[in-house]
Amino acid sequence: MAHYGRRLAAAATLACALAGSLPAAESASQFTVPVTYYKLPNGLKVALSRDTTAPLVVVAVYYNIGFRIEPRTRTGFAHLFEHLMFEGSKNLPKGEFDKLIEGNGGLSNGSTRFDFTNYFEVVPSHVLEPMLWGEADRMKSLSLTAESLKNQQGVVGNEVKVNVLNRPYGGFPWLDMPQYANKNWYNAHNFYGDLADIEAATLKDAKDFSQTFYAPNNAALALVGDFDEGQAKKWIEKYFSAIPSSKLPPKPDLAEPTQDSEKRFSKTDKLAEKPALAFAYHMPPRLTPEHYAMVLLDQILLQGDDSLLTQELVKKRGFTDSVDGGINLLGNQFNYNGPMLWIANLIHDAGVKPGQILAAVDPIIEGLREKPVTHEQIGRALVKLRAQFYKDLTQFGGLGRADLMASFSLFDDNPALINNLERELREVTPELIEKTAKQYLRPANRTVLVLEAGAASKAPNTGGAQ
Amino acid sequence: MRTWTLALILAASCFAADDREAPPPAGTPKPFVLPESNTFTLKNGMKVTLAQHGSVPVAAVSARIAFGHANESADQVWLSTFLAELMKEGTSTLTAEQVANEAARMGGQLDVTAGTDESVASIEVLSEFTADAVKLVADVVAHPKLPESEMERVRANNLRQLAVQLSTPQAQANRAFAATLYPNHPYGRLFPSESQLKSYRLEDVRKFYADNIGAQRTHLYVVGLFDPAVRKTIEAAFDGWEAGPAVTRTPPSPVASKRQLLIDRPAAVQSTLRLGLPINISPAHPDYIPLEVTDSLLGGAFTSRITNNIREQKGYTYSPFSQVVTRYHTAAWQESADVTTKFTADSVREILLEINRLRKEPPDGKELKGIQNFMGGIFVLRNSSNQGIIGQLGFVDLHGLTDDYLKTYVQRVNAVSREDLQRITETYLDPGKMTLVVVGDKAKVEDSLKAF
Repeated sequence: MAHYGRRLAAAATLACALAGSLPAAESASQFTVPVTYYKLPNGLKVALSRDTTAPLVVVAVYYNIGFRIEPRTRTGFAHLFEHLMFEGSKNLPKGEFDKLIEGNGGLSNGSTRFDFTNYFEVVPSHVLEPMLWGEADRMKSLSLTAESLKNQQGVVGNEVKVNVLNRPYGGFPWLDMPQYANKNWYNAHNFYGDLADIEAATLKDAKDFSQTFYAPNNAALALVGDFDEGQAKKWIEKYFSAIPSSKLPPKPDLAEPTQDSEKRFSKTDKLAEKPALAFAYHMPPRLTPEHYAMVLLDQILLQGDDSLLTQELVKKRGFTDSVDGGINLLGNQFNYNGPMLWIANLIHDAGVKPGQILAAVDPIIEGLREKPVTHEQIGRALVKLRAQFYKDLTQFGGLGRADLMASFSLFDDNPALINNLERELREVTPELIEKTAKQYLRPANRTVLVLEAGAASKAPNTGGAQ
Repeated sequence: MRTWTLALILAASCFAADDREAPPPAGTPKPFVLPESNTFTLKNGMKVTLAQHGSVPVAAVSARIAFGHANESADQVWLSTFLAELMKEGTSTLTAEQVANEAARMGGQLDVTAGTDESVASIEVLSEFTADAVKLVADVVAHPKLPESEMERVRANNLRQLAVQLSTPQAQANRAFAATLYPNHPYGRLFPSESQLKSYRLEDVRKFYADNIGAQRTHLYVVGLFDPAVRKTIEAAFDGWEAGPAVTRTPPSPVASKRQLLIDRPAAVQSTLRLGLPINISPAHPDYIPLEVTDSLLGGAFTSRITNNIREQKGYTYSPFSQVVTRYHTAAWQESADVTTKFTADSVREILLEINRLRKEPPDGKELKGIQNFMGGIFVLRNSSNQGIIGQLGFVDLHGLTDDYLKTYVQRVNAVSREDLQRITETYLDPGKMTLVVVGDKAKVEDSLKAF
């Protein structure tokens, strides 16, 4: 679901690496992530984790500015700015950083998410020093020119077209649902941006945005891979410590009012041949016991073929071939820092009505609100989480690990939280799950979005239900 | 084109003035050693490869079976998909729900996916469950129930998937491109008709299984951290399985010729492009790796010429890329891009210009070196995850290559010369023999495409 990547193909693979996460359950297989954490005097947070499986290193710079708090008159600006970060800096004219990365055997990308914008390289470990130098160069001396702005307005316009405007189910439900379910503008605007806003962006906007948010005291640097820690610290000091910090504006109020009745919307997708349905619930605050309980509920309800909604809607009812979704469709259950939704969605045949699907969903959800889940259900959820966590740790040279460490540094000032997740999840009891389901999976907390198939050219061919 | 790009770089240089710092030098590359693998054959002909890898306690178990869409006749399109999906619906001893619960209990998700030349049943689990995962995969592959009760649901899913996929311009473009490159061959039949999907009976699926799946066609890979005693589990789980049909493959002999297809998508804000041609060489051919290097420099890498031109200089598109699509004993080269409608012809013109430029003039040594380094680095990345390693080993086995292929890959990438790239482009990438598919707003783009 990485629709915000600089490059679609690479971004999509990142999404696979980051989708779902986290550890659990006591057993023979245990793995503790080594974490070293410190801050430079200018406020840059640094998190290091060594792993010598392959001679690779991941360099990830996360800025504490996501699309949620971009300027109100400039929807899509945080993402447009992400593209400008690849357009050259004082010592690396346009294209030169890419050549330095690829020409040394590496990959890079960036992505814009709810609460951060990230830039990363996966490179052979012997090119760590030039990568740190390059990241520092664009942090301190980005070149912003009218030419590159115009060029990237064209590229970003095409990105929105290929991912949303010229695509059936474009933006459904990842871009749509926050706009319907949320009330606070910060959580409820079009994050990809209206094309008119993207076109209207000026060089001054970019300069202001850069000066305000792209500073070391608003960033975290994570390294994962085969590097010497002492040497890495020296290089980080050498290249980043002279970058001045900025005065950060106060964080706006992101609070989302409590929803007191179910909301239902429908939209017509003129390119879609088949209707679709999504439903979402507002999540408990992040890193609370209830949040961890929702992480388990997500596994029990939605993740994997054994999940309750897959068994009911796919296997038993035959409404669809797949129910998708989860917590934070543009990342995972931990790498955000504000109000969030748990979303489920499916594509179905025209012969099946949204009401039938919801009538099948409701007893499953109500069942969780009325009686505690079994220890076996919790056990399976914990094992699935732990296995997914381990897989994420190793994908793309360790990108998933860098992501969690950078996010926990940025939002919680503590990347070692990566090693607490298993314990927190194991402390969730059946009673807490029931209480959380009662409170957060209540009908009044739900938003339903029906997608009408505007391109359906003929009568439904078979119906789905057998 | 070259001077035009150079002019921009020079302009940027002036802007950046003279006090530019050079990047600090890279260190000395660390040696990369491919994980050791051990391959053996069971009495029934099934091959098994085990490779210990990684520091995190997970293991991937993957059965790659030599059957897929390539084994479908013209009236069996997607029958492999039906079979793969039904294989997940229970075994002679487990219900579908029990299969799903078993997989989840190990921390995995069992996938059975039909591919073109081979299909895969795979799961990645916590290390301690490796033996259980082997047993589950063995059960699903060797003793699937293929139940009547799920046939209509699988059919409905496939009909829905067909409609959903064909509502995307990319699927429409891929369908037309493949059909043009490979007439009268399964490689050219990406999508069935609705009536075909409605015609398949359970007995067709069961016969397709009997005709195509068995020990001789299967290669099991276990990669990750696991107890080496899993070998005994593998032998016990698969030894009783019948040898089944021998591997059969009938690769096409496509002929490249210049074609243009315009598929109307009224009011589309972008045109979806496919430009390319079949190339009758396999990975064993000495020109194959030089072709991969040529592709990376031309359109495969982010810093490649076509991407730099139509994205980074012109802003016509977001995610253009070229690739060598490798099938059994044949290949194709293609550039794919979704471009703003009004720049459709301009985009085609620039792509052709970049191909022709490389046909006329070899790249300079620095540009080539950068691409070779890129490919060397990606090779390491590909071989540093369990799934990636299985993909690499499976590629070698599918194409009948030797162990040396991976061991000498980087060395052979680095041996490709500047002149090789020009020769490869001249020999294999002739725009006069390419197929161009455009899915877009016909009224707006038709006239401008007459130039090609």
